Amino acid sequence: MNNKTLIFGNGPCAHCIAENLLAAGKDLVIATPDKTLHFSLSVDSGSVEILTDTRLVSCRGSAGNFRILAAQNNQEIARRVAGVIIAEEDQRKSNFSQYGLKASSNVIPLFRMTELLLDASRDPGIFPEVKKVAFLNGIFQESNPVIAEEIMQSALRLQSDFNLKTYILTNNLKVAGNGLEALHRETKKAGVVYIKFTDTRPEIHSESDGSIQIEFIDEITSKKFRLTPDITVVDETVVPSNYAADLSRILGVDTDPDGFIQADNVHRFTVFTNRKGIMTAGPSRIIQARDDQIVDAGNAALASALLMAGLAAVPENRAEIDKGQCIRCLTCYRRCPYRAITLNTRVVVEPHACERCGICAAQCPRGAIHIKDLEPASISKQMTTGDTPREDAAFTPFLVAFCCSRSAVQAGELSLCMGHKLPPGLKVIEVPCSGSISFNHIFAAFKRNADGVMVLTCHEGNCHSEQGNTFAKQTVAQITDMFLQIGFEKERLAVQTLASNMGTEFAEMVSRFEANIIELGPSRLKKNQ
Amino acid sequence: MTDKNVLIIGGGVAGLCASVELANLGIHVELVEKSDFLGGHAIGYACKATRNTCVKCGACMVEEKLKNAVSHPNIKILIGSQVQKISKNGRFTVNIHQKPQYIDSQKCNQCAICSDRCPSDGAILNGFSKNNIPFYGINPEKCLYLKDTSCHICRDECPEKAINLDEKDSKYVSQADAVLVATGFQPFSPVDKPYGYGLFKNVLSTLDLERMLKQTARVKTPSDNKPPERIAFIQCVGSRDSKLNHLWCSKVCCGSALRMARLIKERQPDIDISFFYIDVQTFGKDFEQFYKDVQEAVRMIRAIPGDIYETDSQKLKINFLDNSTHETLEEIFDLLVLSIGITPCKDSRELAGMLDLKLADSGFVSAGTEEASDFENGVFTAGTVEGPMNIPETMAGAGRAAWDIAKYLKPNGF
Repeated sequence: MNNKTLIFGNGPCAHCIAENLLAAGKDLVIATPDKTLHFSLSVDSGSVEILTDTRLVSCRGSAGNFRILAAQNNQEIARRVAGVIIAEEDQRKSNFSQYGLKASSNVIPLFRMTELLLDASRDPGIFPEVKKVAFLNGIFQESNPVIAEEIMQSALRLQSDFNLKTYILTNNLKVAGNGLEALHRETKKAGVVYIKFTDTRPEIHSESDGSIQIEFIDEITSKKFRLTPDITVVDETVVPSNYAADLSRILGVDTDPDGFIQADNVHRFTVFTNRKGIMTAGPSRIIQARDDQIVDAGNAALASALLMAGLAAVPENRAEIDKGQCIRCLTCYRRCPYRAITLNTRVVVEPHACERCGICAAQCPRGAIHIKDLEPASISKQMTTGDTPREDAAFTPFLVAFCCSRSAVQAGELSLCMGHKLPPGLKVIEVPCSGSISFNHIFAAFKRNADGVMVLTCHEGNCHSEQGNTFAKQTVAQITDMFLQIGFEKERLAVQTLASNMGTEFAEMVSRFEANIIELGPSRLKKNQ
Repeated sequence: MTDKNVLIIGGGVAGLCASVELANLGIHVELVEKSDFLGGHAIGYACKATRNTCVKCGACMVEEKLKNAVSHPNIKILIGSQVQKISKNGRFTVNIHQKPQYIDSQKCNQCAICSDRCPSDGAILNGFSKNNIPFYGINPEKCLYLKDTSCHICRDECPEKAINLDEKDSKYVSQADAVLVATGFQPFSPVDKPYGYGLFKNVLSTLDLERMLKQTARVKTPSDNKPPERIAFIQCVGSRDSKLNHLWCSKVCCGSALRMARLIKERQPDIDISFFYIDVQTFGKDFEQFYKDVQEAVRMIRAIPGDIYETDSQKLKINFLDNSTHETLEEIFDLLVLSIGITPCKDSRELAGMLDLKLADSGFVSAGTEEASDFENGVFTAGTVEGPMNIPETMAGAGRAAWDIAKYLKPNGF
């Protein structure tokens, strides 16, 4: 079996992942658009192929068998790999415009100061005529611990090795990183002055001679001050690499709103993407300090090893497309969050990529997609009511609650465990994802004499299938419209969100729903019994 | 499958995650937890989603990891257990003391009858997750039977006959190829700070509030069990404190407190919330937007209050310097929530002694020391035993430790 892993990246994180996998005897391909590889490997057991000056063109197939096409000097390269790890570097954008400044000899970006200080180890006379240095950090936009650390380190060296006076102008000083509060104390001891802004902001002026004047009100004493630094250092925003956008698009993996490769979804902790077999690590997925990149590298290697171990088993009960029914409308292709639908001469499901969420089957307008045990017919067999009637109410409503297995089912069980009393007529129907619930599932419940139907999904941004909960809400909204038109009580159908640890909230939700249904009385769609 | 065995000390987030990863690699794990329940502090955390939208605190992921761990065939779980002695002669020989297991985890069906009928307050403990198996534990300090055999209602009324109050403690010896120390953190005890914790009824810690929200979904003032009108959160209690020599930011408190503040504001909009802080730390990828929203819902005050006094009606009077007017203000709140920091766990000090681990000046274990002694070879650490971490970082640290252990053990097929 193919056990090759393809790594995209050319920085410390990619390096560390490669060393980890080679130590475990895995075979590697490392690909980067850069002309040279920036690190060297101590190969001991596995084999490694290095593709520099190479850009990804396409990626087909699924975990265990990705078919990669790349371009190197206008030549096409094809490789088959079992897994892919994205470990691209981030990049920095200087925040000059935020402060109304332009780069000049005395207004420099943070990375330039870091470089100067590296050079300064060789030439201590690098800051002639400089007495005061001001750092601008996160005044108009929130900063982060990675940038704050670099600023504090620079200020500390200027202050203690070069005897300069340094000022850090900041709003919230970001010390939530390893050792940063201790560093903050050290800088203060060395004489670094912190000027913090909460309700006010400094006024920053560039004079005609190029000098900078910063006027501000000290918020504690409410006195006015003027600072005239010889060098003003402007902080930076950390953004994904330019290549990240191409990679995420071609590989079909989700990004967060800032373009880092990994959706902002807890189910992707730590290095996972929406696509099985494609991992993302280090600064390609999140703003990260150097130490944490090493941690990510370990996780990427682990995920890769576990992927290989798991590929031996053939996944069962995945989605299947009935070719006689399929009209190639490509709804499934567009809707599948895991990129498990492949277009060949016909539309097929990649079993190793399918997570069995059921979204494709629920969304298919032809009903051409089948997943064993998720069909409305087999699910409706579970829709039987209990036999303990309510004594305190006119009738005991039969309530069907479609519950996502990851959230609402767990919350319901926790609810019982916590001692909450649930409605006696409540029937929980477990589904792998609320996105698997189709019109037919909901109609089946009413047909099987439900007085009320609930769809209990994950919170927005917490759906393992990314959009399953949204699709469920749309389905409910459409049926609600239908109910309004035909004059059936729309209150009999509800959709709500829950997480697995919300036992109390589950009990409150179903009890409130039961009370509403008792108020409405039995459903008119109910067959006479 | 291999014959390698790893002993994991600590059943919190790091211990659970590392167990599951190693078990998935086919390595046997013995997971030792000193309390009656797995899941660490985090299993008591509430879901803090607002506007039906996840805020990515990661609490639900702890539930998932716990669920995976308790059902994994490669993981043996020892709750109520503590390591007493570790020696190494090739493999590690670890002597473990296990408290009496009064409730049979196989028989208990979580019916709650024991808890409902017990006449002694606090004698029956309960877990926070349905995957805390058993869901109940018996507190020997409060149980009347264990005191003077005067009561055995729980044993008699248990329909499953799952309770045996005569159970004795036991000893267990583990033979391990590697040891992972994941003993977590000690929540800072605020009793020595001038905030009246433990003295005034209506002063809670963030941990207390997390649990209250998980149990009851609403906040109530402990003195009268009614919703408070005004709540104050105080940040950095036990963190960033040079007097205590706590020269670290606990990283998690701004996220926990502000997410809870917004949740309370959504569910109980009549409550006024003030938030006292030094610097608001970034948490989550959508921090910028969250922070904007929360500043509309919560009154943010960049000051840390001085002493707290209790009024005759059990309200709390606090003094602070108001930056906008430069005056000292005095305000009254119904409930005070202290954002207590992450501090080193005292068990880690003992274990560090047994395992030759190095402690930093802060008291946390220094991770990844350069020159490992022969004894230390095969000893790993993960999670907040190394210093403050949030849930995703802890999960990542555990994954990395699992990988390092796997590299060290090189099981078959690796």
